[in-house]
Amino acid sequence: MNATTATAPRNGARWIAHALETEGVETIFGYPGGTIMPFYDALVDSTLKHILVRHEQGAALAANGYARASGKVGVCVATSGPGASNLVTGIADAMLDSVPMVCLTGQVATPLIGTDAFQELDVFGMTMPIVKHSFLVRSVDDLPRVMAEAFRIAREGRPGPVLVDLPKDVQVNDASHLPDHVPAAVQPPPAPADAALAEALAAIAGAEKPVVYGGGGIALAGAVDAFRQFVEASGIPTVLTLRGLGALPANHANYLGMLGMHGTRAANMAVQESDLLIVVGARFDDRATGKLAEFAPFARVIHLDADAYEISKLRTADIAIPGDVTTGLQALTSARSTCDAWKARCASHRERFGFRYDAPGADIYAPALLKRLSEVAPSDTIIACDVGQHQMWVAQHCKFNHPRNHLTSGALGTMGFGLPAAMGAQFACPDRTVVLVSGDGSFMMNVQELATIARTRMPVKIVLLDNSALGMVRQWQELFFAERYSEIDLSDNPDFAALAKVFGIPARRIDQRDQVDDALAELLATPGPAMLHVAIDIKANVWPLVPPNHANSSMLESNPAKTVTEPTSHAIPA
Amino acid sequence: MQYRLDLIVKPAEGALVRVIGMVERRGFVPRAVHATPHADGRWCLQLLVESPRAIETLRHQLEKVYDCESVSVSADARDAVTGVAA
Repeated sequence: MNATTATAPRNGARWIAHALETEGVETIFGYPGGTIMPFYDALVDSTLKHILVRHEQGAALAANGYARASGKVGVCVATSGPGASNLVTGIADAMLDSVPMVCLTGQVATPLIGTDAFQELDVFGMTMPIVKHSFLVRSVDDLPRVMAEAFRIAREGRPGPVLVDLPKDVQVNDASHLPDHVPAAVQPPPAPADAALAEALAAIAGAEKPVVYGGGGIALAGAVDAFRQFVEASGIPTVLTLRGLGALPANHANYLGMLGMHGTRAANMAVQESDLLIVVGARFDDRATGKLAEFAPFARVIHLDADAYEISKLRTADIAIPGDVTTGLQALTSARSTCDAWKARCASHRERFGFRYDAPGADIYAPALLKRLSEVAPSDTIIACDVGQHQMWVAQHCKFNHPRNHLTSGALGTMGFGLPAAMGAQFACPDRTVVLVSGDGSFMMNVQELATIARTRMPVKIVLLDNSALGMVRQWQELFFAERYSEIDLSDNPDFAALAKVFGIPARRIDQRDQVDDALAELLATPGPAMLHVAIDIKANVWPLVPPNHANSSMLESNPAKTVTEPTSHAIPA
Repeated sequence: MQYRLDLIVKPAEGALVRVIGMVERRGFVPRAVHATPHADGRWCLQLLVESPRAIETLRHQLEKVYDCESVSVSADARDAVTGVAA
């Protein structure tokens, strides 16, 4: 007996609330409306903490951020029709980045389904390609099975979102005969095959230029410690994907940086020269590999992943190790790599080609500001970001000591992700510092959630990098569309600091680099939510950049049309 | 390259749409579809599909579909898919 059963007869909606409580859910994000009203009635007597957002996309992305930061299942709720369709982007984002979520949607009563009733929408059909699984509950008697399976599926194996569509009559009907909810057991992934592990050990021992290529699957598999032990024991140079950042601390001696389109020169060139890639929880995403046919052309591939589907999907694995990543890494920790000259070469390249922060001028240089932010914020700070140039600057210049401290929309690239995701992360981790780094384009896509942050007094610190343009689109138009700028001007942005203040959030604007240290200190010291609005140069671009459909060895360091610098290619200078 | 897929699919709402949608989204063109119900309600689904992509990737993806109980693959067997002209 719990809160939802203690005060009233249990209908379907009350049973659902009871199931959420039993699953350990504490916080849910949502927006009420017609067909989900019985569930909102049940919330009155529930222990669940409901966060009323200002747009359903904010609910889905807040639940998404909550799940990313905590590893727990994020839960969002919306009514039928537009409420449900507004969840879609947040659900898709969770699907593509493997984030565990359960999304509850109201639906018209079962007799009305298929009649074009008011706010009837086939969200079950709409979301099929972007969910791990979904249920349309036709009877209250199905609730115990559906709710248990929804949470099991969301958690098990490669996590993902599960949608549960709840017709209004199912919520209203009597559920007093239903047993209490029992969470379903999650099956662990199978152990890797011994023969493949033995083959991998031999390959590592024989490699002259091995590189570890780690991705988001490391944290998803709960294998961060095992990954670090393997890298530490083997001494093999290591690169990480955008979603893998933090799997190895940024200051680790083996770490060469992020690989890919905006990766470091040391990371990309090591991979291109490698004779053995040990791929852990990564999926050869095109932003990481560049031109796939020319990616790591000399390397054999060992691929460990909990999701067998990812192995040999895009690059054939010479040694496939599907199954439990932790077990696999532990078995490989006895591997010894003796390629000292290679390790020294990679280490020297990391030092030689490190980022520089001495840009001329008095304007604020965003990479330097983000580096400074990372230095002055607590080491366990969670940094959420949006999508665009600032997202890549965060990846390049902020230091992460765990992947769950870096919330970024990696696969879907969802502008508007950051503000609600940061809010969700702050609810999941109320005692941690949570910083949102956003851009002026992305920020406006879910700006309404400032009201939610203001209401809840969630102490999210917002660093808004404002170049009065859609910066990444502008950069690509500059480089690849002959400077034919099309629809990237945002010079009529609102006064963001004033906007924040209207919502009751203290804010400050800066535009000179000698203001940075003081402003960051003030931001982090401000109780409750706060914003730092940072004006930056519209012409600032993200470097390095591998042009699309080029090998990762072809890295631009500046606009070749404006300098004599050509894409550097092939081997790293000795 | 054409392949034949033999699947056992739970009689759940949306299951057939989910499977065929997955085939198309992953870059395979359905050339023939034939579904018959077992006595217990489960669907026996035969698909003839065509794509230059590796069929193993599709097989692994279909195995992840919650309502899909089994998947087997064989090389081009156009005549074996009954009920719909290939």
